[in-house]
Amino acid sequence: MIIRLHEVHKFYNRDTPRQVHAVRGVSLAVQEGEAVCISGPSGSGKSTLLGIIGGFFVPTSGLAEVAGVKLARLPDRFLTSYRRDYIGFIPQRFPVIGAMSVLANVILPLLPLGVEQRESEERGRQLLTRLNITHKQNMPAAELSGGELQRLVIARALINDPPIILADEPTAHLDSALSTQFISIMSECRAEGKTVVIASHDPLVFQSSLIDRHLILEDGAMVAG
Amino acid sequence: MGPGYLISLRRQRNLLDFALGSLWRARWKNGGIVVVFSLVIFIIASFRLMVAGLEQASTAVLATVPDITVQRLVAGRQMPVPLWWVEESGAVFGIRSIKPRVWGYYFHETSGANFTIIGVEDFPGGEPLPGVAMQAVSADEQVEENQFSPVVLGQAVHQMLALGDRVNVSLFRPDLTLKGFSVVGLFAPQTGLVTDDLMVMAIDDARDLFALAPHNATDLLISVPNPLEVDTIAQKLMAKLPGSRVITKAQIGKTYNAAFGWRSGFGMICLIGTVAAFVILAWDKAAGLSPEQRREVALLKTLGWQTGDVMAIRFMESLVVCVVAFLVGTGLAWAHIVFTDGFLFKPLLLGWSVLRPSLSPVPVIRFDDVLIIFVMSVVPYLAATIVPAWRGAMIRADATL
Repeated sequence: MIIRLHEVHKFYNRDTPRQVHAVRGVSLAVQEGEAVCISGPSGSGKSTLLGIIGGFFVPTSGLAEVAGVKLARLPDRFLTSYRRDYIGFIPQRFPVIGAMSVLANVILPLLPLGVEQRESEERGRQLLTRLNITHKQNMPAAELSGGELQRLVIARALINDPPIILADEPTAHLDSALSTQFISIMSECRAEGKTVVIASHDPLVFQSSLIDRHLILEDGAMVAG
Repeated sequence: MGPGYLISLRRQRNLLDFALGSLWRARWKNGGIVVVFSLVIFIIASFRLMVAGLEQASTAVLATVPDITVQRLVAGRQMPVPLWWVEESGAVFGIRSIKPRVWGYYFHETSGANFTIIGVEDFPGGEPLPGVAMQAVSADEQVEENQFSPVVLGQAVHQMLALGDRVNVSLFRPDLTLKGFSVVGLFAPQTGLVTDDLMVMAIDDARDLFALAPHNATDLLISVPNPLEVDTIAQKLMAKLPGSRVITKAQIGKTYNAAFGWRSGFGMICLIGTVAAFVILAWDKAAGLSPEQRREVALLKTLGWQTGDVMAIRFMESLVVCVVAFLVGTGLAWAHIVFTDGFLFKPLLLGWSVLRPSLSPVPVIRFDDVLIIFVMSVVPYLAATIVPAWRGAMIRADATL
């Protein structure tokens, strides 16, 4: 198992009047190379669960183990290293540094690793070629269209060659053509042996052939899958 | 060098590249900070370089001052010293030499300046002023024997008399008859603070010019070989010469420091206020992260950047701003001293030199001055930005979710 969650709970603002029980005793096991979609209505805890797997949130209780790393006990510094080594993350709104070039955005994760500039750029260009936006590499990221922006973010998530790809509502702001394109790219990643976990309530995603398993969250608890 | 060092070096270079790019992306805002910071450093550096130049100049002045100067006071006013005081003083043990001197001010109507006339013994044979460099003027062919007296001029006096290539100059005695002088030398420009307004001549010529009686001098210059004995000898002279005012070199030094130190201290307090105001501005700028900057930090953390990496780029940004502003500010200050004689601080620091026709401060750059400028400007800026940078870098990666 590359991802193993057991009886994971997550509270926000615990023991305060604003307490939220975002994840309620979720257990989950994902095989290496598997593609899983977690769906559910807004506020059901999809992003939080994805955040726990990605090392963005520490679970309040329960076991969260990814690639052999027990996430609950890791301090922030090691969670960052974990993300760098194992996770390629595709956030919902495709955040980029708009004034920087497309290529510079793609190689951002490599800068603190001490990878030589030339090598970083070469790896970035290969990914941009694979995603068909190499012709935009020197353009400021702010000038890209929605679909191009999405491909930039995917290239950036893949630049470290991570074994796990997490995507949070990746098609929420895309039309169906671009959503289909995204699914196609993720299928290629899965074919390369990467594990793909997508949080989405878009039927186009969870009904696609990419997805091996469809899990449903409701009010923080796993109700199907 | 091992691969670990190479990776670390490449990492630092990558972060520096990012920091430079980040500065460039916000070039108008950062450019504004550099301009303001350069101005602050320019003021601090100008002041410090001016002070350093004057400190060196006052040291040069003190080098020409005798160990003990003896004057005579009557009813609290300075009066001529009778030459029998020389023999009387000679009886005090421990004195190397006693030289009478005649000096006074000469108002030059055409230029409106006051020149300082000094008449010394052994002139023109010896050095006009001990230890002060002089350029010789070959005036032999133009001096008419027994008609013109030799004189050595300061550069500013030479300029104000508009002598050009001429060597002869006439000055008025009190009875408005003219006394002719022939310039035999000019004091070197680098001795300007000491010599700019000087006319040095033989003591008899000075007596003649000021219509002073032959057995009188303005004061006595006493040389003492053992510095430890100066105060004791001064006390003995005061006891031996009723009505005398005995001034030691140390007392003159204290007077310089009192007048000059007060001015520079006042200036420094004003400048500390300037630096404090800029530090507050820097803090405010660094503390107030825009939503865009917060998103950028969160994104970098999401992509695996450690808090230390984000802090490193913020530190590099501040350092680049500091270094650029430091170089620009210090360079401008240097130019301000060299090309404009430090006109901004001249009135503050040289108010006491109104008697002098002109002064061209020779700028001095010493390591400790550069260090003081650095410590007074760059260090407060870095200190003011480091805490906000740390707070900014603590933004959590989950902000992107």
